[in-house]
Amino acid sequence: MNLDDELRAALRREDPSPGFAQRAVARAKSNPEPTMAIPIFQPVRISQMIWAAALAAMLVIGLTATSEYRQRKAERAGRDAVLALRITAEKLNMTRDKVLKREEN
Amino acid sequence: MFTQAAAIQETTSDTMTDDAEQFADLVKEHQAMVFSMACRYLRNRALAEEIAQDVFLQLYRKLPTLESPDHVLHWLRWVTAHRLIDHSRQEKRRPQSPLEDVPEPAAAPDPTERADPLLSNMLRDLVAALPENARVVMILRYQEDLDPMDIARALDMPIATVKSHLQRSLATLREKLSHKKGVGV
Repeated sequence: MNLDDELRAALRREDPSPGFAQRAVARAKSNPEPTMAIPIFQPVRISQMIWAAALAAMLVIGLTATSEYRQRKAERAGRDAVLALRITAEKLNMTRDKVLKREEN
Repeated sequence: MFTQAAAIQETTSDTMTDDAEQFADLVKEHQAMVFSMACRYLRNRALAEEIAQDVFLQLYRKLPTLESPDHVLHWLRWVTAHRLIDHSRQEKRRPQSPLEDVPEPAAAPDPTERADPLLSNMLRDLVAALPENARVVMILRYQEDLDPMDIARALDMPIATVKSHLQRSLATLREKLSHKKGVGV
């Protein structure tokens, strides 16, 4: 026989001990619902929790920085608008003065 | 008197009996596959039975969501394979005493077996010593007689990876057999 056939013979299916099916059915009937005890503190879950916390922290920091940047930008735009209005008002006053002087002359 | 409550109770009881009977039939149909996969993977009959029992308990809970016999078969292969891989990874993390490393004696050789029982036993040991994923691939290939495409589907693994596991595992087995026993296969 070649290796393929030898492997098929070596790894052929085998029955479990007698009564296996009855034990499986009895166990299923006596324990039908999944147990609620979730192993939260397994090593994998702890590392997942650390990653999740780091991600949440980065998200919060990012959102805070973005909102502060937007607030500063709005304040600067407000100051620029006030300055522009003042300049316009001064120019209008100067123009009005010139018009009044011409009318007097 | 035949009340509505009695009718509901009878229906529920009938459904439960039907479910249990259906489940018992499924266990009988697939027990050899699940147990053998575990047994070949672990080389420990008691542990293999324990894991097979866990897989069938999981099947019982999952049964309402499985749509067809093919779905059940695929699900069982997938869950058994991943359960075995998880188990051996957990065992690697856990410190073990030397006694636990000793595999249980294999079942008595089948007198009707045509293959050399010593070679079969050696092959089972060599397969059980392969890395986790390669071991499952070899078991599905030679125990379940699945082709690489079906193995890839059963394990959610790229087909190239399956082929590579098969080639490397066969090369390793050939090399170890020729070194150890001078067996020309």
